[in-house]
Amino acid sequence: MHLHKYEKIWLLFGGGVLVLFILILSVNSFAMGMMPPSHMEMIDPTKVDQTPPFDNPGLRQVGDNEYELVMTAFIFGYAPNEIEIPAGAKVTFKVTSKDVVHGFAIPGTNVNMMITPGYISTLTHTFSDPGEYLILCNEYCGIGHQVMATRIVVKGKEGEKS
Amino acid sequence: MSRNVPQFKEKTGSNASLKGTLASVLLVGAFIVVSWFGIFFLFLSRS
Repeated sequence: MHLHKYEKIWLLFGGGVLVLFILILSVNSFAMGMMPPSHMEMIDPTKVDQTPPFDNPGLRQVGDNEYELVMTAFIFGYAPNEIEIPAGAKVTFKVTSKDVVHGFAIPGTNVNMMITPGYISTLTHTFSDPGEYLILCNEYCGIGHQVMATRIVVKGKEGEKS
Repeated sequence: MSRNVPQFKEKTGSNASLKGTLASVLLVGAFIVVSWFGIFFLFLSRS
């Protein structure tokens, strides 16, 4: 099979770019832990209100400016509502659904995950900048889907970064 | 097919110019690479 010189060039280029992309993503996921929010943790979706820690959703401090935020998603809201944390806080979200598939997204950040009944979704994010962030449901869940949202307020001095 | 169909054989060996194809492939490739790294760095900046 005869390959033209130009064909060799673009095959090398295309193949090389693919290898580069896969290498970067592999380093990210295996060496730096950038993985999807599911750790295959399961829960009985009919018993969410009785299963710890979702029987008592809320913010818990687990370290120096480190928090665990246990939340439930349901038709059509989240519990808890209106969360406040200090700037620079590292928050681990642990979310499950009490009924149907919901979304959990904070626009402008990398927080974006599907909340599937029967599973617990976990994701960690550091809120460096103070302000008000919207937690939005971005997975159609019914007639009130468009109003399903809550807020997370990051308190801190303006311009102060930790 | 038992009938003989007139065969057209085009010599495509060294006569065909692949310069335009190379340019187009590299252009599409550049677009892919630039957009990939653009979104990748956006992702990193939001961490």
